[in-house]
Amino acid sequence: MHDFALWVESTRISKALFDITWLWPLCESLHFIGLCMLIGGAGFLDLRLLGLFRGLPLRDVKAMMPWAIGGFVVNATTGMLFLIMQPHLYLTSGVWWWKLTFIVIAGLNAAFFETRLAEPALALDPNADMPRGLKITGAVSLFSWFAVLYCGRMLPYLGTGN
Amino acid sequence: MSFFRSLQDSAFTDWFLGSESIWTYPTVLTLHTIGMAILVGASFVVHLHVLQVAGGIPLQRLRQLYRFIWIGFLINLTTGLVLFVTQAADRIVDPVFYVKIGSIAVALWFGVLVKRRAVDRGDASSAITRQSRSLAAASLGLWMVAIVAGRLMAYLTS
Repeated sequence: MHDFALWVESTRISKALFDITWLWPLCESLHFIGLCMLIGGAGFLDLRLLGLFRGLPLRDVKAMMPWAIGGFVVNATTGMLFLIMQPHLYLTSGVWWWKLTFIVIAGLNAAFFETRLAEPALALDPNADMPRGLKITGAVSLFSWFAVLYCGRMLPYLGTGN
Repeated sequence: MSFFRSLQDSAFTDWFLGSESIWTYPTVLTLHTIGMAILVGASFVVHLHVLQVAGGIPLQRLRQLYRFIWIGFLINLTTGLVLFVTQAADRIVDPVFYVKIGSIAVALWFGVLVKRRAVDRGDASSAITRQSRSLAAASLGLWMVAIVAGRLMAYLTS
């Protein structure tokens, strides 16, 4: 990983991007705005799955998802730029790999919800109790996204490998 | 001035910023980010619905989200005060800091106006006034300004 990081850093694209002084702070700002869109949209659905906002049809809450996905795309893009500019900060950091792991867990959980649970869930009476399976998906999603945030923000302070 | 200098140079600041522990500065900073996600995230959901670009939930159903907005705000007011104390002398003369605090104040104020004028009334989406929509859009924009200003403080001041 260390060698790979060194190689990425030696490429022309990495140097060129890192030399643009305003690019890093711009990406950071966008990364924070994307985070709010993602946690706002996905968290809203997660809370509904946990049984809050009773009476609100799931279909209406799911309509927020394009914004959450938009936030994710913003953060994946800016995150990729950080990675290209300063790969050693991330690739050699255990916390960063935890962050990636939680992103994968959140993604798989969302895919499972979308393919297996969403259809019957949409047919539920909005005033009914949430079935346990849906509550678990909501809890896993909420926990994972906040874990992603935690790992990202704590990355500079929790054992970086450089 | 000397008051803010004494805060920044206090034994508390030394301990808070100098400690090797992750439970001081890093944890407060992270809580500040979690509070932001809750506060701005919930505001996004409300305002995007007022702007009618996120589906057709009757606005009154979103009232509960204001509880999250206030919880997030409370977390960030508390953690923000601690962070301010430890950089008081620098921040009090930092224009970017005033931009951040000013945008937060107005964004919250507009959020409250949106609640009173649109969310609480429970009008059908067709009854959302242009004024409410402008307030929601402005509030969203100001939250973004606050976030950018917060990030830039780390760069624009020595």
